[in-house]
Amino acid sequence: MKRNKIYIILLVVILAAYFGYNYIYQEHRDISAETADYTINASDFIAEFINDSETAQTKYLNKTIVIHGDITAQTDNSITLNTSIFCSLLEPNTISQDTIVSMKGRCIGYDDLLEEIKLDQCTLTKINQ
Amino acid sequence: MKHLVLTFLLLITLNITAQSKYITKTGSVIFEASVPSFEEVKATNKNTTAIINAENGEFAALVLVKGFRFKNALMEEHFNENYADSDDYPKATFKGKVTDFSIEDLNGSKKNKQYNGTITFHGKTKSLNNEVLSISKNADGSLNISGKLKLNVADFDIEIPKIVSNKLSREVDVIFEFVLTKK
Repeated sequence: MKRNKIYIILLVVILAAYFGYNYIYQEHRDISAETADYTINASDFIAEFINDSETAQTKYLNKTIVIHGDITAQTDNSITLNTSIFCSLLEPNTISQDTIVSMKGRCIGYDDLLEEIKLDQCTLTKINQ
Repeated sequence: MKHLVLTFLLLITLNITAQSKYITKTGSVIFEASVPSFEEVKATNKNTTAIINAENGEFAALVLVKGFRFKNALMEEHFNENYADSDDYPKATFKGKVTDFSIEDLNGSKKNKQYNGTITFHGKTKSLNNEVLSISKNADGSLNISGKLKLNVADFDIEIPKIVSNKLSREVDVIFEFVLTKK
């Protein structure tokens, strides 16, 4: 009986160590693999922020969002949709021409200075010609 | 007719030079609160927005706190939930003015300029006086602005639990680096 007890205690210790290690050294969220909390059109998304930026920001902050919109500007590391949504890309930009796209990213907040909504860790989910 | 065209051109050029704002949306802000021989406490935000008005040296920057990335995911989670409370205070802002700013002065060389302003973080505002930053102008007309600040954690109502008090520095180094292009 004592032997069984030792085995059980050992098992608990190993499990605790395993879960403890995984908790401490957890991985960063993989935004591109997450299911989006919201899928929305760029114009509707922007309208929500123009209407009430505080409420919209609280609603979308830190959430994974898929946005369908027109590319109005782009750089090596970013894509701007409908002039007011700034998407910071996870990997360098490979889009060759201005198109309608679906971008998946995490909302990090509303930029009052330039009146833009900012997303980071963005990836392309679809290109529509 | 010639007189009219000339006046028109003059008015246009005056208008263009009167409104010179330089902007970046991808400015870098790094903060470091590491204690020697303990785990590194350092985060980088590469999505900072900064604007400077080249006419009068007025300067504003906005840092979205969720955008600070740490190497360690758990540290990032603790930072957002327990220290910065980024759900309640998603923005850190800086407003200020560079003293004696003159766009003409900058010709290739780096100049150190003094600035005054306020920084707001975690709901608290602190004033900055006679801090220094470096400005230089690039060949393509863009401006490089960089500098360093030492801020006290206590000034912003941020509590450090006793358990980790010797692993986090009370004084945080904030390093900013912006490449601003003319809009």
